Amino acid sequence: MTKLAPGEYKTIDLLAVAAAREVNDRDIVFAGTGLPMLAILLAQATQAPDAVCIYEAGTVDGRPVHLPTSVGDARCVYQSSVTSGLFDVFNQLQRGKVDLAFLGGAEIDQYGNVNTTAIGGYAPTPKLRLTGSGGNPDINALAKRTVFIMVQEKRRFKERVDYITSPGWRIPRWPSGELVHKREVYGDKFRGGVSAVITDMAVFRFDEEGIMYLDTVHPGFTPEDVLNNVSFDLNISRCRGVTEPPTQEEIDLLYHKIDPEGIFLK
Amino acid sequence: MTQQKRISLKEAAGLIKDGDAITFSGFTIWRRPFAMIYELIRQGRKNLHLMEVNGGTHTDMFAGAGALGIWESCWAGHELYGKLGANVSRRAQAGEMLVEDYSHVHMVCRFAAGSMGLPYYPTYASLGTDILNPAYDTLGNAGLRDGSNPKIPRHKYLHATSDFYEPSHLLHIPAARPDWCIVQAQLVGEEGTIRINGQKYSDEEAIKSAERVIVLAESVVPESALRQEPERNLIPPYFVDYIIEVPWGAHPTGVYGNYEVDGKFINDYYNRTKTQEGFDAWAQEWIYGVESHEEYLAKLGISRLESLRANPMLKYSTNVKRGSRS
Repeated sequence: MTKLAPGEYKTIDLLAVAAAREVNDRDIVFAGTGLPMLAILLAQATQAPDAVCIYEAGTVDGRPVHLPTSVGDARCVYQSSVTSGLFDVFNQLQRGKVDLAFLGGAEIDQYGNVNTTAIGGYAPTPKLRLTGSGGNPDINALAKRTVFIMVQEKRRFKERVDYITSPGWRIPRWPSGELVHKREVYGDKFRGGVSAVITDMAVFRFDEEGIMYLDTVHPGFTPEDVLNNVSFDLNISRCRGVTEPPTQEEIDLLYHKIDPEGIFLK
Repeated sequence: MTQQKRISLKEAAGLIKDGDAITFSGFTIWRRPFAMIYELIRQGRKNLHLMEVNGGTHTDMFAGAGALGIWESCWAGHELYGKLGANVSRRAQAGEMLVEDYSHVHMVCRFAAGSMGLPYYPTYASLGTDILNPAYDTLGNAGLRDGSNPKIPRHKYLHATSDFYEPSHLLHIPAARPDWCIVQAQLVGEEGTIRINGQKYSDEEAIKSAERVIVLAESVVPESALRQEPERNLIPPYFVDYIIEVPWGAHPTGVYGNYEVDGKFINDYYNRTKTQEGFDAWAQEWIYGVESHEEYLAKLGISRLESLRANPMLKYSTNVKRGSRS
């Protein structure tokens, strides 16, 4: 295994590799469009050959020979165990069958709450309307572990997100809206939650209280670089060092086997 | 043998009135009945109440055309081909359409309840989010939850508890009851049996929740052909009110086994329609300035359509350029 140095790989390569390493063999994984597809396919080609991938539009354990460009893609269907629809696969999620999911977002806060809905106020009209939730909050609520892949920017890593689209570790209990631990809201349906946040600079995890801390920095970055790109009081005392860089073998798999057409890896 | 009513696209679009509640087959940029979507915009439909599990390019076009009064859903974008439904965002920010946010599972629950004839469906999904923030009940804030509109439930959702087994807290999500579901299907029998190949998305729930159903079919086939393998069929004829044979009717979205998503077309739409002026110019070129679906296909051209045609075994195109190296 040849470990590569910064400059020998692109940031997106490291994101895909770091995300892939979150997959355990035999995990049942819910994946969305883009980097999550690269991550699950790379994991299946390396340490997790028996991981199962469910795409939320309704395919289970497909074995695509061409990279899908979205979860509704005909390529997801190829050699799948079951092809059905949303009701089936989201019911499986609610039933507790999903171990791991990859998600994204525009903003995240120190509790792992994520916003993909609106920036700068929601009602009566949003200041800046984003795409909306999609399945993000459902998956984040009901999978055992979730991994977020995001862009590291001060304005995106906030003490409190403008709108909680997707539930992290401390979430509002309605109707009062007081923030409580996720366990208190979900009761016996509590299964876990945000396990890692992977950005172009670092990997973050959450402590016993559900507060984000710095786990590793990517090669070429320091904890101070990360501190300069978050807008809350981030705990860097638990930083374990540097994120494992990609290997040449992983890069070859990504560019020659998984995305040879250059769809996500331009 | 009952023949379902065969009408033209223009006639069918004319049945849908301003203010009607509508939904569609498909998922994001897959199997959306675009020939009808274009025709509704061309006929100047206004104040539509679009309820759908997720949106896509079509949602954004309706928004750009000023055709939506209310949009209840969870997502609008163009997948890989445009990160945002820019027209949805612009109209929502300007207060020119009402957006009611649910989660993906909530919307599936809404159509599931509608399809089962139930008033609501229970779920644990998306507890502890601002989707449930009482201050963010858009239709309630607009005074529309007074029971006077049969398509708008009196509550966005209700908290509920269960003690059948472990005590738990869950949500009751109200049924969706659209006036119309407009479907793009691969195959429809002459009597109306629908066969969907590939992923069914939320088609079954959407179709069965609607009061009336219009099916655009890639091919209308002898009913007996579909009845040779009934286990592959999704919907019996009595749910279907109108059938229209519209090959390539979902373009620029894709149809499993028939053709690919036209990503280049969608990306061009996204890039050109971020402003209202841009949208108006695009719509003049591709909707208002085009008389019919046949004229639209001719404008696209045979070579473009052929590049999208699915490989008969793989069920998707192997000829379309998708990435930077293909």
